[in-house]
Amino acid sequence: MVELTTARVSALSGHYNRGHHGVEGTGVVMHEVPDLQLWQLAAWPESLTVAANKLAQSTGVGSVPGFASAAGNETVALLRTEPLKFWVYGAAVEGANPDESVVLDISHSRTQIRISGPQATTLLNGYLPLDLREGSFPVNSVASTAFHHVGVTLWRSPAGYELFLPRGFALSLWELLLESSMQYGLMVK
Amino acid sequence: MNSPARRLPKGGLIDRSSPIEFRWDNQKVSAYQGDTLASALMASGEKIIGRSFKYHRPRGIMSAGVEESGAIVTVGLSHRRDPNVKATTQELYNGLTASGQNAWPNVRHDVGSVNGLFSKFFAAGFYYKTFMGIPPMEWGKKGTGIWMQYEKLIRRAAGMGTASREPDPDTYEHGHLFCDVLVAGSGPAGLAAAVSCAKAGLDVILVEQDFEAGGDYLNQSGPDALAKRDAAIDALKAAGARLMTRTTVFGLYDYGVAGLLERVTDHLGNPDPHLPRQRFLTLRAKHTILATGALERHVAFGNNDLPGIMTAHAANAYLNRFGVLPGQQISIATNNDSAYSAALNLAKAGASVKLLDARAKLPKAVSGLLDTKGIELITGATVLNAQGKKAITGYESAVANNAGWKEGDQHDCDLLLVSGGWSPVVNLLSHRGVRPGWDATNCCFVPVPTNEPIQTAGSALGVWSTGDCEDSGRAAATAAINSISSGTVAVASGPAAGGWETPIQPLYEVKVADRSLKCFIDPQHDVTADDVRLAHQEGFVSVEHLKRYTTLGMATDQGKMGNIIGMALMAEALGKEIPEVGTTTFRPPYTPISLGALTGRGFGAHFRPLRRTPMHEWNLANGATMVDAGLWQRPWYFARQGETITEAYIREATTTRETVGLCDVTSLGKIAIQGPDATDFINRIYSNAFAKLPIGKARYGIMLRDDGIVMDDGTTWRFSETDYFMTTTTAHAAKVMVWLEELLQMRWPDLKVHVTSVSEQWAGVAVAGPKSRTALEAIMADSAVVTNEALPFMGVVETTLKNGVPCRIARISFSGEMAFEVYVGSDYANSLMDLLNAQAQLLDGCLYGTEALGALRIEKGHVTGVELDGRATIDDAGLGKMASDKKSYIGSVLRKRPELMKEGRPQLVGIFPKDRSQKFKAGSILCAENKVEGHGDGWITAVTHSPVLGHWIGLGYISGGVNDWSGKTLIAADPVRSGNIEVEIVSPHMVDPTGERMHG
Repeated sequence: MVELTTARVSALSGHYNRGHHGVEGTGVVMHEVPDLQLWQLAAWPESLTVAANKLAQSTGVGSVPGFASAAGNETVALLRTEPLKFWVYGAAVEGANPDESVVLDISHSRTQIRISGPQATTLLNGYLPLDLREGSFPVNSVASTAFHHVGVTLWRSPAGYELFLPRGFALSLWELLLESSMQYGLMVK
Repeated sequence: MNSPARRLPKGGLIDRSSPIEFRWDNQKVSAYQGDTLASALMASGEKIIGRSFKYHRPRGIMSAGVEESGAIVTVGLSHRRDPNVKATTQELYNGLTASGQNAWPNVRHDVGSVNGLFSKFFAAGFYYKTFMGIPPMEWGKKGTGIWMQYEKLIRRAAGMGTASREPDPDTYEHGHLFCDVLVAGSGPAGLAAAVSCAKAGLDVILVEQDFEAGGDYLNQSGPDALAKRDAAIDALKAAGARLMTRTTVFGLYDYGVAGLLERVTDHLGNPDPHLPRQRFLTLRAKHTILATGALERHVAFGNNDLPGIMTAHAANAYLNRFGVLPGQQISIATNNDSAYSAALNLAKAGASVKLLDARAKLPKAVSGLLDTKGIELITGATVLNAQGKKAITGYESAVANNAGWKEGDQHDCDLLLVSGGWSPVVNLLSHRGVRPGWDATNCCFVPVPTNEPIQTAGSALGVWSTGDCEDSGRAAATAAINSISSGTVAVASGPAAGGWETPIQPLYEVKVADRSLKCFIDPQHDVTADDVRLAHQEGFVSVEHLKRYTTLGMATDQGKMGNIIGMALMAEALGKEIPEVGTTTFRPPYTPISLGALTGRGFGAHFRPLRRTPMHEWNLANGATMVDAGLWQRPWYFARQGETITEAYIREATTTRETVGLCDVTSLGKIAIQGPDATDFINRIYSNAFAKLPIGKARYGIMLRDDGIVMDDGTTWRFSETDYFMTTTTAHAAKVMVWLEELLQMRWPDLKVHVTSVSEQWAGVAVAGPKSRTALEAIMADSAVVTNEALPFMGVVETTLKNGVPCRIARISFSGEMAFEVYVGSDYANSLMDLLNAQAQLLDGCLYGTEALGALRIEKGHVTGVELDGRATIDDAGLGKMASDKKSYIGSVLRKRPELMKEGRPQLVGIFPKDRSQKFKAGSILCAENKVEGHGDGWITAVTHSPVLGHWIGLGYISGGVNDWSGKTLIAADPVRSGNIEVEIVSPHMVDPTGERMHG
């Protein structure tokens, strides 16, 4: 095995300007979470329970999230993105039995942007047609939705909104987020 | 100008401690924070604010709201010039610049007013009758030659202001809002409704188009109304409701969706550049309460458009809200009780007031009250004809005469207020397809209940008194609360329509025998009562046709001002009742929306989402010129100093065939296909055999649609018993992904297969050319994995680059050369390119773009989306031999339909110019030499200059293919561009037909 001697390059590389932007104050904080580790586990209808429980055990998350929600601990989270599919955030899952489930590394396929701050919901609702009010989209809710015609995944984690953008579209969508968050006062961390 | 209007020393809701300066027609004018442009102009004595559309008649302020049809102005300068702004709704700010429009040199002295002299000729349908359909107007080309010239002059003369031709410098944005209850309108009913709902724990958004919440509370005299308003707003905020001012609910749509326009900076002189000018918001509510109020109507009498004539209630607004006494010698013509408050308020403010009530009998208490306030009351009277040149100076009254009117006396005045009754704003309900019902008692259309979760409250329901409006709002709130909790729409049980002590007397037009008067019913479009009668005489019976013929209700107010009067006159002419004539359907938007707001941020670079490959920046840094490929940006060519695109791609293609070329192929669709039944699944999709594809091998496959036509092609790589990696064309990536999901979910749910798009996961580069392996060997951790033995043609390997980056490589070729596709995780794309490019440089290789890619594949006759265009069969494309006869697959039956198997179908062919020095174009039609007509016998899909052959070549389809046309001369006809070129048909495999180069 050859040692890895090169670093990952983000889709936002060269366009990620840390610091304060826009009007005074900080209504929105945005942060690209680098070096995303994201795997997918997809089970079969009859093996879903077994595979999901094994996944919850092996990742240390403990519980299996329900539809359109997430469960996690400090390092790993399971996101229920489709009825038969889980995203494993923060850990690799290998060696699944294909009769129960199949796994796939999709770590490079998404760019993760964490959005927080008092105007984060307003900013996101500038694009996402999702009811993000606390009662409708509490912490650990997960949704697949559209952002300027692009399919994206949104997870409300304890740290803020985690927006998973398809990597090829990430810069274009990041630019839109930058443009519209200036009016609220933006801090890029 | 000597004006009767003046700012009172105190009173009103304006902030007298915040003076404002603005410019009106280049003159500096002073006003206060809280003024509208209309109130400020009125206070400064301006009477003529606009000029009418057709006759250029002087127009003044006619209202105090969105229905304004006189004071239509242009706001802003140069690239921020905004025409057709209603002065009555434009909030004033320091530095605002406004000017009159449709006038020269200005609205006060307008040369165009000469049109008024010819008004007799300018009746409805004038242009059609005069300029179209009769010689000589129909002479010239296509019979419209002269009209085309006249039209320009006419358009210039008739105008509604001009928009800026410069790009809009402002930004706009879209947004989404969610709530339990949307309340439209913050007047007494709306506020009461919103407070009740919010106190019940519902999430409420109260939307107000004005910059001040309060609706009619703002127009009422005395502190009580304001105290009520303030208390309600406090209660609203305490209950956590959201109040949005400067926001219009412009439309109601399906399932509780409302369209909102929020004006964020239109009231700011120097807004923060980060703020959008406006927001176009889509609001989704469980329940909607419409408290949109009512609009006071004018009456059609002679010269009823003169400056100095406005609605009675507008006077209340200017007096009580803006502290402007709009006249000194005021007459009021009414047919209902509502104007009495204006009379009392104006008299109290010091004006002399005369009230003409069309109704013959009024309660003694009313006349007695007016008497004590010094107001002269004349019953059974109204206005017949207003007088004055540029503003009203007096009028001739009409007095009741049996059921009609006769000429009355002469009266002087400097302001004439009119109340012809009130029209509830039913527009939003109309958007939902709910036709309002005619309330003959109150002379207005009122909303009827709907089974949608929508309530109407207050004067929008025809409820007239403030107290009743508040009750009505609370009743609507109760219904909304019950509806949300029960899930079924409840009906509100609030006050019924009405509330006047003396019934209204219908009055739409005042006319006496033998008097011809110019009575406007739609002042913005200069539509008169006579125009409506003319339309009737000419046979128009439908109100919809009337509208189109006369243009009644088609101006920027969309009939708010004149529709009811127009319908009343039409009904009279037809001998029908108003509801029998019908109602016009209101459509969104309620008030105009700027195009910028509709666009939002989706313009320029963001017109479409832009998709970049992981080596986008790397490509640019290495000299790429990019091209759009769908949403993707791909390298088009890498020009060296001084090279044209043609020189560049020919060099790139030549170099690739001679040494090695590198091309970013990340945009190819990539799909992970996993599961115990993956092999079976793939075998059912592709037309060729896949059941026995060994692990570590790739195969080219063609998939068909159900109807037997080719859907897409690509290679599929096998990594394990249960793990495949499919590539698709760039163009069809999403379509194929959706297709596979559909098959798994709808047709074969029993198959244990999952498909996942991994197009974004993997960055891909094609390494092509006789030295491609040499380049590759040098960048691998173990060079032995890519030898000819270890990685033969169509071999696949998962391995590691020498920098430790995991990769997957297949030896496949689109260029016809020995070639590899190398994929790494997208975040490692740059490092892959750095490694490969360094080797390519050593080998005198190069980078190549889509243009050279095209040249290489055309030479080889390899098909792409332009050849697989949704019409071609696998046989048409010359690939029929690949299709399996031993298995069933999607399209296997229908591809053998007689129509798809018949002789003479278009076949893929290569095309050479007869004279090798000539070029021809893609899109040309292929015709027999002596028969250049119709659709010809075929078409050209792609052309390139072939570096190998040294001349232009093409691919295309022609009926019968090479067999029928070999050796014959054809014409590539391109009638609208380059004309006809003689060509000949050859095999599509124009370079290395046996594939020796590819196999290395």
